[in-house]
Amino acid sequence: MMAKRSSFLAFVFGSLARRRAKALALGGGLAFAVALVAAVLFLTDALRGEADRVRSAMPDVVVQRLVGGRPSVVRSADTAVVADPPIPSVASVRARVWGYVFLPALQGNIVIVGIAKGAPSLDDVHGALSEGRDLREGAHEMLAGATLARFLGLRLGDELGLPTTQPSTPLKLVGTFSSAAELYAADVLFCDERDARTLLSLGPDEATDLAVTLANSDESRVVARTVLDRFAAQGTTARVVERELLGRVYALGYGRRSGLVLAASIPALLALLVLAWDRASGLGPEEKREIAILKAVGWSTADVLRAKLLEATAIGALATAAGLLLAYAWVFWLGAPGLRPALVGWSVLYPEAPLTPMVDVAQLLGIALGVLAPFVSLSIVPAWRAATLDPMDAMRG
Amino acid sequence: MRALVFAVLPVLIALLAVDASARRAARERQMPAAIAVGRRLGTTDLALSGGARWLRAPSLEEPWAAFADAPAAPDPDPAGGAMSPPRELWSRERQR
Repeated sequence: MMAKRSSFLAFVFGSLARRRAKALALGGGLAFAVALVAAVLFLTDALRGEADRVRSAMPDVVVQRLVGGRPSVVRSADTAVVADPPIPSVASVRARVWGYVFLPALQGNIVIVGIAKGAPSLDDVHGALSEGRDLREGAHEMLAGATLARFLGLRLGDELGLPTTQPSTPLKLVGTFSSAAELYAADVLFCDERDARTLLSLGPDEATDLAVTLANSDESRVVARTVLDRFAAQGTTARVVERELLGRVYALGYGRRSGLVLAASIPALLALLVLAWDRASGLGPEEKREIAILKAVGWSTADVLRAKLLEATAIGALATAAGLLLAYAWVFWLGAPGLRPALVGWSVLYPEAPLTPMVDVAQLLGIALGVLAPFVSLSIVPAWRAATLDPMDAMRG
Repeated sequence: MRALVFAVLPVLIALLAVDASARRAARERQMPAAIAVGRRLGTTDLALSGGARWLRAPSLEEPWAAFADAPAAPDPDPAGGAMSPPRELWSRERQR
């Protein structure tokens, strides 16, 4: 039994070695297709995972005021609408000062965030800052994303004057965020709330939106409805965004991106599969003669069929392994050059932090079986055709 | 010995899963720092496309932000071609 199995394997690998070019064309094409599809899936899952991972830092409910169909500033009266009388389960209502400033030097937007008095210090959180320290109130200081600081050529202690309509004091860079926050804060600049108001042209009574924290986040739907009813009673239009729905934003946003990229690759993948089918189904005169000799020396149809299926499995398994390895290395070791801009969009300031894989054994096995099973099944027809050859006809050519 | 060829795929899958798991564990150790910074941000959306506000913070922008200049105008930002608005979500959100 062992000897028979060994001779099967010897024949299979001998046959692959003799038709090296065909095996390489088939295996290479399959490996490329697996690598492309797996890389898109790996990258999409990594982005979705990254977005979901920090979702808990968002407030349970964000309230925006709409004027003329666009988000407008909220005023202290709006805070009172939400906070007074108190809604059960609302733990706090905080007016947030943040927004975008267009930097001509970058030809892109940066995000300015005003840090309110009494915010927990980042100095106490290990690994939040890669260098420097947290802001000091009233000292006209800033913290910036590492990518933003590098793009602007800023080092600790340098001062930056941002374009604004109001006279403002240049901000001194006192720290940069660590790579832990790079994906969310690459283009972000923290400064104290007063500086942020100046940069964003917000008055002392104005804010960007309201962050509502709940004692029980399951009640966000009820709270959202109550807030909207109260604004409607005041004759004001508002928009409420609940944190629990953000997971769907990410799933839909990144899912559709990967769908677009995969859809764009369909013609190439189809061409590859047609080529593979053509190569796999064609039996050359050499191969026919080889099978005829095997049958003449006593191999049964089942033996030839088995040998041919083993051959297809060997090529398929090696190609799938190469494709998976290539995709993993491309996305997580090399940072997905070429694919990342196509999948995540274009930007001047691009976070350079490495992505964290979300793949597990089940997903890897799923991809492997999803490729290997159809590949081996497709090889059954040519294998059967080879196995049922009449030895005499084949040897005569 | 030749039979080992058939073991390449399962062994590679196991190795990749172990590497992915180790990277996830390393990332989890960084999360307290990321969340501390995230709590200060206006949005925790990924900073991938900063050319337009609706691409920078799709979760907080109004559904029509991409077409702020004219109704249904083409999005001039190159990143807009790669990112679609979360229409299914917007249809469920509350607004009055």
